[in-house]
Amino acid sequence: MKTWVAALLYAVLSAITVVVCFPLLWAISTSLKPKSEIFRWPPTLWPENITFESYRELLFGGAVASAPGAGVPPSAYFLDWFANSVIVSVGSTAISITIATLAAYSLTRFRFWGQRAVPYIAILGYMVPSVIFVFPMFLTMVSLDLTDTLLSLILGYVCITLPFCLWLMWAFFRGVPIEIEEAALVDGASRLQVFRQVVLPVALPGIIAASIFSLIVSWNDYLFGRVFMNSMENLPLTVGVMHFFDGTHVDWGLMMASSVLMTLPMAILFGFMQRHLVAGFGAGAVKG
Amino acid sequence: MTDVVVRGLSKSFGSNNVLKALDLLVPSRQFVTLLGPSGCGKTTLLRLIAGLEKGNGGEILFGENRVDHLPPGERNIAMVFQSYALYPTMDVARNIGYGLEVRRMPKLERNEKISTVAKVLEIGHLLLRKPKQLSGGQRQRVALGRAMARRPDIFLMDEPLSNLDAKLRSAMRGELRRFHLDLGTTTIYVTHDQLEAMTMSDLVVVMNEGVVQQIGTPEEVYSKPANLFVAGFIGTPPMNLFPATTSDGFLKVANTTLPIQVSPHMPREVVIGIRPQEVSVMDPAEPGAIPGKVWMVELIGSERLIEVEIAPKLRIIAEVRAKHRAAIDDHLAVRLDPTHLHIFDPVTGKALSV
Repeated sequence: MKTWVAALLYAVLSAITVVVCFPLLWAISTSLKPKSEIFRWPPTLWPENITFESYRELLFGGAVASAPGAGVPPSAYFLDWFANSVIVSVGSTAISITIATLAAYSLTRFRFWGQRAVPYIAILGYMVPSVIFVFPMFLTMVSLDLTDTLLSLILGYVCITLPFCLWLMWAFFRGVPIEIEEAALVDGASRLQVFRQVVLPVALPGIIAASIFSLIVSWNDYLFGRVFMNSMENLPLTVGVMHFFDGTHVDWGLMMASSVLMTLPMAILFGFMQRHLVAGFGAGAVKG
Repeated sequence: MTDVVVRGLSKSFGSNNVLKALDLLVPSRQFVTLLGPSGCGKTTLLRLIAGLEKGNGGEILFGENRVDHLPPGERNIAMVFQSYALYPTMDVARNIGYGLEVRRMPKLERNEKISTVAKVLEIGHLLLRKPKQLSGGQRQRVALGRAMARRPDIFLMDEPLSNLDAKLRSAMRGELRRFHLDLGTTTIYVTHDQLEAMTMSDLVVVMNEGVVQQIGTPEEVYSKPANLFVAGFIGTPPMNLFPATTSDGFLKVANTTLPIQVSPHMPREVVIGIRPQEVSVMDPAEPGAIPGKVWMVELIGSERLIEVEIAPKLRIIAEVRAKHRAAIDDHLAVRLDPTHLHIFDPVTGKALSV
């Protein structure tokens, strides 16, 4: 590549990186500013006085009441919300991945009626915007008396993540040569041993990719949490942090600190799993 | 040691009958090759013997025991696949020892077996590597090691050399044969490569369209083909096969009566076959030779193939020493060695005795 082309490419990519990263950097910067500095004009790019007050209030239930008129400040629920988000994300991902892996394996290895149609129907289902089925699902949850429970969110997230996880795992298993399973059968392994000891380790990159996808979708969802949940202590993070905005006043310090703390688990996860993620999606794309 | 008996075995995939009531006896300790073109049913037969497919009828016995209802793991067989089918996430040692691991052999004993096998196959230094870090030849050895480690009753091999380059394939042919002689395990080997079949086997089973065409030693299938299919399939370059007639106890080819006497009971129309090596070229004036014109000349190393057109669209290939030169359109004659002539019934395809 010519030097000037490379330079231009780097300039464009750097500009895009800055644009993409700016909101996160701004959130980090705002979360570290004292309240007096947040609204200062002209704004400071980096806090003059760094304070961890917002983080302390969120993590250790600080004394500063952010919602005027409310008995318990919303920030006191932050750890509950965080735990709720972890439970529903991990729970829905565990269910989605278990079902998707077993279903995709049987779709690629056993012959039965409708075998070819299932993955395509599943991916078609994934293309329907979740806003279309959130209300029918809400009514179902009402009839099952599950509204305002974490289980309702877990089931809701399974519905939106399962089709794509199934598709991804199906594409992945299609790329796993059947001979290695036959070799294990000849070696004397049972079907279950073959699946556990030979197939699953090979499918691990696909499972990791599907898990990360499912975790991100359920961790970031707002719609289902907003519709299904009522009680302050049961909200997921995405819905909970909206309580730092009460219609008249926004606590930007808490809002931004929450945003940073919300981003952190996914960023760490992504950092560790990135290699597998690329391998997983790549394998699915090429061999599927 | 175990012989393998297949009786009336049938297998179809939908409306496609791959094996048609096939009978076969693989004697104990023999190296038997299933040879045939793609789609002849040889791999299906091997997979049925392995238990990876279920037949639609017939039975398979190992020695006295019927095994066709048993899953592959209970048949005490080992299989080497065309793609080697090594477990990609396990290292070489675990690949070799996996069959022992699932049979709950104690770790110490298992490791001992693994290192013995690795030593024999000269892959001791590769034990900690993953399959993707190995070359094709090394993978091949690991696949063999996995098969050998369990000391199975029967080895099944599905074109195990076809993914290797020509040089390595040739070396591995010798090694496989050597291993078989050392271990003495009954081996069923599938290939479409007749060179492999001819060089390695005690017995060759020639198959076509789900039917066994001939079972015999490599010499037998080469020099006494049972029918037109075997005659045309075995041998490179292939046997010359062309129509002839019998009249007054002699064979007549393209208006030339050959000085070859045949049985008076022979049908009038026959197909005769002769290997290019048994055809000699000579001057057209020679008596008893079939005159013709050179259609094509090909040099194949130390030999030269001369294709002579003896009648419109009827050509005979002669394999002669390379020093024997001929040019296209030269007028020559070919002489067929009567002692190596094969005669077939054009209707049934079966060989007739001269």
